[in-house]
Amino acid sequence: MARIVNDFSINIATANGTGSQSANLILLQTLFDMGIPVSGKNLFPSNISGLPTWYIVRLSDLGYQAPGDGTHIQILLNPATWDEDLAALEPGSVVIWNTDSKMAMEREDVISYPVPMTKIARTLNPKLARMIANVVYVGVMAELLGMDQEILEAAIAKQFGSKAKAIELNAEASRLGRQYVSENFTKSDDYYVEARDLEAGGFFLEGNEAVALGSIFGGVQMLAWYPITPSSSIAEGIIAWLPKLRDKNGKSTYAVLQAEDELAAAGMVLGAGWAGARGMTATSGPGISLMQEFIGLSYFSEIPSVFWDVNRVGPSTGLPTRTQQGDLTMLYEGSHGDTQHIVLIPGTVEECFEFGWRIFDVAERFQTPVFGFSDLDLGMNRWSCNGLEYPTESMDRGKVVLTRDQLDSIENYGRYRDVDGDGIPYRTLPGSGLDPILYRGTGHDEDGAYSEKPDVYHALMDRLKRKIEGSRDLLPAPMVRQEDVCDIGIVFYGSMENTITEIDDILEEATGKKVSTCRVRALPLHSEVQDFVERHDVVIILEINRDGQLYGIMRKEYPDHLIPKMKSVAFSDGMPPRARMYANRIMAVLKEVEL
Amino acid sequence: MTEKPVRAVKLNVINEPKDSYTGGKSSLCPGCGHDQISSVIVNAAWENGIKPHRIAKMSGIGCSSKTPAYYLGQSHGFNTVHGRMPSVTTGAHVVNKDLTYLGVSGDGDSASIGIGQLVHAIRRNINMVYIVENNGVYGLTKGQYSATADKGSKKKKGKTNETQAIDLCAMAVNLGCSFVARSFSGSKKQLTAIIKAALSHKGFALIDVISPCVTFNNNDESLRSYGYVKDNSEELHSVDYIPHFSPLEQVEIPAGAFKDITLHDGSTVRLETISEDHDPSDAVAALTALHEADVAKKHVMGLLYFDATRPALHEDLNLTDTPLCELGEEDLRPSPEALESVVASLRG
Repeated sequence: MARIVNDFSINIATANGTGSQSANLILLQTLFDMGIPVSGKNLFPSNISGLPTWYIVRLSDLGYQAPGDGTHIQILLNPATWDEDLAALEPGSVVIWNTDSKMAMEREDVISYPVPMTKIARTLNPKLARMIANVVYVGVMAELLGMDQEILEAAIAKQFGSKAKAIELNAEASRLGRQYVSENFTKSDDYYVEARDLEAGGFFLEGNEAVALGSIFGGVQMLAWYPITPSSSIAEGIIAWLPKLRDKNGKSTYAVLQAEDELAAAGMVLGAGWAGARGMTATSGPGISLMQEFIGLSYFSEIPSVFWDVNRVGPSTGLPTRTQQGDLTMLYEGSHGDTQHIVLIPGTVEECFEFGWRIFDVAERFQTPVFGFSDLDLGMNRWSCNGLEYPTESMDRGKVVLTRDQLDSIENYGRYRDVDGDGIPYRTLPGSGLDPILYRGTGHDEDGAYSEKPDVYHALMDRLKRKIEGSRDLLPAPMVRQEDVCDIGIVFYGSMENTITEIDDILEEATGKKVSTCRVRALPLHSEVQDFVERHDVVIILEINRDGQLYGIMRKEYPDHLIPKMKSVAFSDGMPPRARMYANRIMAVLKEVEL
Repeated sequence: MTEKPVRAVKLNVINEPKDSYTGGKSSLCPGCGHDQISSVIVNAAWENGIKPHRIAKMSGIGCSSKTPAYYLGQSHGFNTVHGRMPSVTTGAHVVNKDLTYLGVSGDGDSASIGIGQLVHAIRRNINMVYIVENNGVYGLTKGQYSATADKGSKKKKGKTNETQAIDLCAMAVNLGCSFVARSFSGSKKQLTAIIKAALSHKGFALIDVISPCVTFNNNDESLRSYGYVKDNSEELHSVDYIPHFSPLEQVEIPAGAFKDITLHDGSTVRLETISEDHDPSDAVAALTALHEADVAKKHVMGLLYFDATRPALHEDLNLTDTPLCELGEEDLRPSPEALESVVASLRG
């Protein structure tokens, strides 16, 4: 058989809390440093120790970043999932398994490499054998696939930082893994890795850390948060980087508060925004559920606030360590009564950084809650990044009146009066003594005074609608890739970016048709999204949820003549999207419309 | 013809008349204890010589939380959501530590829906005054028991309140609150002194003010209760009839003494001013006084506990001297070189 080079998926089955995460990251880093396009997916349980964990490494010279629809090489260390993992493999797959797991290897249609991983590890350090066994399988793979030992050891050194003993121990474990392969096996599979010349200077970055850095370059002044997977690493990233980037003469230009719950975190964000500072929180769907009341207050009393939602699988506690795009509607229409909110939706780590700083400008410009919408897949997995672009614009602090002269120059100032005709009023800050009001969540007139008058309420709600409508074309425009023939268009968003190329290629191969794509990057929808729908015969709205939440928004907002051509393809099982699953569903819809 | 002498307007230490500290007209029931507290707030802020625009008026939801509209009209304020005033104040405080934060809340706001936020605000020792206008009843929703309602209180409909009341002062002392006091809306002199002291205190100051509800007083046996009036007036057909009462007369009780105060509904409340021997730095003495008053079915008033040594939240955060909200882009956005060094370290 022909050699299969840099085009396969490795699935590593372990239990969490055994140290396998370090080994998997070393494997990923080694492949990355060899210049091979590679992505890693951590499928972890909501648990500290002992439950099944899988790590999927996808190598793809075509740059595909999705986990792939099948496993080519299976590493087996976990007795708990052993039979299930084994049963799922196609004939001809490679299985590298730990003979010390005391489990039977009952398939004869796979290529089997039995390795006494724990015994080998025990020769190095009996106490740490279970942990070191993980690096043994990295060594085994390095030998079988042809990975560079020097690069591997550099990756080990990077993983363990300044811990010299750990570096040496793990390096030796990887060498013993290699040695066992060369002494006991003749390679009988077709999988190989080959180094590639990739653009120098790339590095791995998780979406959450990129959001954290973006927030700091956006001038975050107050972070209030309550720990929740998968968002905690945004707050932890901010906490780690702030002292290095934002201390001034030994003092903090920021405050970080770990709140007692998400309600309090949201309240603190509003307090900071009310006082004229840039406040933010980071949470996930359950946290957003708890914050709904404050979201409505922020919208109605027009206080800038920033919320990052790193989506996990709902409803309820759901699958807390799995990924989904199920919170979109909740963000867009959050809180009771008529509301509409701005949502920024990054699809790459570079955009996580960019939207991280930009979101404060949007919130202060429009004096309203603004959501950053990420998900577990984008937020907690490591993605290849070529660099972070410094903010291209100065901070926009919005319509804040700071002096008496400024205030006097505004004709007929009122906190909620639409002086400029764009729906955005001016505001003064507490402590300034400039035309103070008592902010309230109750009905209020243009001067901020309590009112229940029907025309006053109606005019206020109408202005709020105009204000948010006015943001559409000022928010990040969609990324459109258009083919010459506009038969089929796909509208998608967020982390689906990492799977779309592969879906495109599968569709083209199967149907002979090229598809155009439009990645939505903000709500309310930019006018270019509607233009895209207008230009295409059939438009698939592709999402990682059950109900087609973006599809619902488009149906509600778009003119009747566009509705028949829009088709929803929405699917969610908690896994990062696998290209073929979604491509098959798209093809089924295309078949229905006979395209 | 003799000219009438022009009466000089009295000014405070920063040359402001008291008018600079007043607010809009109250929409509470006539005679409400909360209005008395509002006027004490005006007096205390004026007497302390705080610049009126440097005060931030904070509140939650409820009758009490409406009152910031009725005092300090030159101050910005925030009537937030039910029970969540502490978190909003916390967020505002850390970004602008130089304002004086004056929170007003009720017993529903503080002892039920917002008790968690109150507890954590005390725990963080935010530099603020937190006044609970405590009447033991939900006024705006028409008379349900609150968590501070005394055990044994009776309502016309439903059962006698058999649940234990939460004593916010005892809770605060136990939490290590740095300033804990109890007073009465009708004790203007004492309440003014306590609020003035609280405004000067650095840290969280809880003032539990007994403030009788003129409308829903939870005692239908009273001849002047809401229920009695409703059932005994032939002209009365709607439940939103609010009888008019005059504010309670002023009472000042010397230290160590007590006095029975007759409320609007004819019931009495026994108030005792804590003895001059009480050592406010002694938490156990404060708890003992509260417990003994509870056993004797009376309320002990005065400064119960005080600790000036606890660091306030803003001190613990090591903030810049300039309030965060006044920092500009040069302090808030790191340089391009800083980003380069971040990227270099990510490359490893």
